[in-house]
Amino acid sequence: MKNRIKELRARDNLTQLDLALKVDVRRETIVFLEKGKYNPSLKLAYDISQIFNQTIEEVFSFADE
Amino acid sequence: MKKKRLKKKSLLLPITSVLIILAIYGFMVLDIDVEVPSFQSQSLDRVIFILIVILVVITSAKALKKYKDEKMGLPADDEFSLQIKYKSGYYAYLASMYMWLFIFLFRDHFPDIETLLGGGIILSSLIALIAKVIVKQLFNEK
Repeated sequence: MKNRIKELRARDNLTQLDLALKVDVRRETIVFLEKGKYNPSLKLAYDISQIFNQTIEEVFSFADE
Repeated sequence: MKKKRLKKKSLLLPITSVLIILAIYGFMVLDIDVEVPSFQSQSLDRVIFILIVILVVITSAKALKKYKDEKMGLPADDEFSLQIKYKSGYYAYLASMYMWLFIFLFRDHFPDIETLLGGGIILSSLIALIAKVIVKQLFNEK
């Protein structure tokens, strides 16, 4: 699964720590999400999308492997 | 947005404190007994001692980082860290079973029962640590 978290974070001038605090996860989780090493739960994907005022589909996308 | 907080007080700090106290006690016992193991005669004891120090240092560093994160308002655990714990716990348990089997197969190579049990426990901790690192790095791999 690919995501645009890093890009959107840069757009909104948010650090990884800021985002982690907003969605109530550890900073490490944001790092692994951005690297594509972790697929979030639906709840976390929704929370992150809400922070950036986007839909889940706009932030997360499934890529063929 | 209403957030359901998954905040849990970290147990890592009290556990680390106990580990540090035990390590200090270990130093004291070594000191009282005077007989500090030499590399040539009791190399296994030396290896175990070094492993204990490494484990205490790693756990202390992690506890300190977690404590700082908690002070900033980050949760002690979240969905990712919990999944890592569950998965790595499973693999560490399986690996430890085999490790104990091998330890008992080669029990004649250990000088005494304390070294055998102590070494086994420390190796279990190391296996848990390694399992956690591997599971974290390969989380999305199939």
